[in-house]
Amino acid sequence: MPYAILDPTGTTTADREQSPPPRARRRANLHGATVGLLVNTKQNAAPFLDEVGRLLVGRHGAKGTIARTKVNFAAPAPEDLVKELAASCDVIITGIGDCGSCSASAVADGIVFEAAGLPAAAICSDAFKVTADAMAGLRGAPGYRYVTTPHPVAVLTPDQVKERAAQVLGDVVSLLTASE
Amino acid sequence: MTETPDPEAAQAAIEYCYAQGWSDGLPLVPASQPLVDKFLAATTARPEEVIGEIEQVGRTCTVQLAAVNAAMAGCLPEYFPVVLAAFDALMRERAARGGGWQSTSGPAPMIVVNGPVRHELGFNTAGGAFGPGFRPNATVARAIGLIVRNAFGIRPHVLEQATQGLPGRWSICLAENEEESPWPPFAADGGQPAGTSAVSATLLRTCEFVDNRHTPDPEQVLWDIADTISRTGSLIFRETSAGVVFCPEHAQMLAEAGLSKQGVQEWLMEHCGRTGADLRRAGKNGLRGIARFADPGASANDGVFSRILPSPRHVPIVVAGARNAAISMVVRIFGEWSGTATPVGPLTAALAHPTTALGVSS
Repeated sequence: MPYAILDPTGTTTADREQSPPPRARRRANLHGATVGLLVNTKQNAAPFLDEVGRLLVGRHGAKGTIARTKVNFAAPAPEDLVKELAASCDVIITGIGDCGSCSASAVADGIVFEAAGLPAAAICSDAFKVTADAMAGLRGAPGYRYVTTPHPVAVLTPDQVKERAAQVLGDVVSLLTASE
Repeated sequence: MTETPDPEAAQAAIEYCYAQGWSDGLPLVPASQPLVDKFLAATTARPEEVIGEIEQVGRTCTVQLAAVNAAMAGCLPEYFPVVLAAFDALMRERAARGGGWQSTSGPAPMIVVNGPVRHELGFNTAGGAFGPGFRPNATVARAIGLIVRNAFGIRPHVLEQATQGLPGRWSICLAENEEESPWPPFAADGGQPAGTSAVSATLLRTCEFVDNRHTPDPEQVLWDIADTISRTGSLIFRETSAGVVFCPEHAQMLAEAGLSKQGVQEWLMEHCGRTGADLRRAGKNGLRGIARFADPGASANDGVFSRILPSPRHVPIVVAGARNAAISMVVRIFGEWSGTATPVGPLTAALAHPTTALGVSS
């Protein structure tokens, strides 16, 4: 064959061979911890994360919560926001990954927070596991763990949101601590 | 190359491309270095120049990669400056730089070509504007799709999460019917002087025809278009953006009634919208910031008419198609049009006589 067929992707195996990104050190439990809540503006994300935060304070002894909003849900969290939360919080919860770009982005943020020393729990709708896992792979963290909740989230009533928050609580705690 | 191409070799090469996962589902033209070199010779841009980045997936596109994908899409080398301009125009769109390609809405680029390049390269400027049937229109749009798939790595079911997608994704490239349009070319709305070869682009969520061969009254035609634009199904936020691709007949009727493009835009801004009762019925009457939600208790605004198109830029107007029927198209824009057009870069000397200098095979 006189000529090779050219590859249109521009990727090489070298791109894929990276050492895994650092994982933040886990606390034994959440007593006295300040919990960051990074809300991505998707429908029901704010009440969902607020309720998870409230339950962590009420049932797991967390000291309090600091909520911030990520205005552009599709993009990675801005660097200054990551720094601020890493400085002011002990653990962080991001979400809700409930669309094509924001679920991937919630996981990407979780990986960035881990590297900044903050144990992170990204919460995604289970309809977006494939894209969330793909993003983890792209960020050099294949197999990155996050919390899922059944799809859909956007149309839940306030009471249903609270039920869902309670349902993910155990997974959130185990992901953020060294309790398992 | 022999006089008669070897079909089995071609089939094997096509299957090889499928096996690599590069295809959008249709056969690709296998790209070789000599073919891609012809694409690179068609532009003054350097091969290693980065022309687009999707930050969240950590991928970039270079001129070289765009050339490989354009070749695979079936473009001729001389189309490449149009591909580059279209890609540049699209990357000016906030939705395309953000999460648009990953979105559940599965948006389709709408590419609009203006100026002499339409005829120089043989773009269809007349009937069947939304395709198919014409190589430049079909392959320039397809090249963008292959760049997103291959250079950015955003593939269906993985990083691309379209719920249903939409007909026409990677195939809408209109060449404006400037010859039968009563108004300045679309690229002029994007800041390029009339007579410039330029490309504009935005993302669509769908398009819907307005067939009004029923009335000689231009205002009735506008009411018909306003009804289609004002559907609640496409309303997610307080405001929206919807363009109109007018057929020449509707455009000429409006112009003869004294309406400029701006006049049509202002009429539609004034008359497109819904009442609070309509919005409440569809569960979209509440507003939290700019996002709509179902607010069942709030009936106080039932009688209030909410306008949905905030500025002329949210109602882009293009003229395309044949003048054989009064059928126009409402195009529903994902996000909003940037309001810019990108000039088509100068063809290099190698392209002075494209048919002789740039046959597909040497």
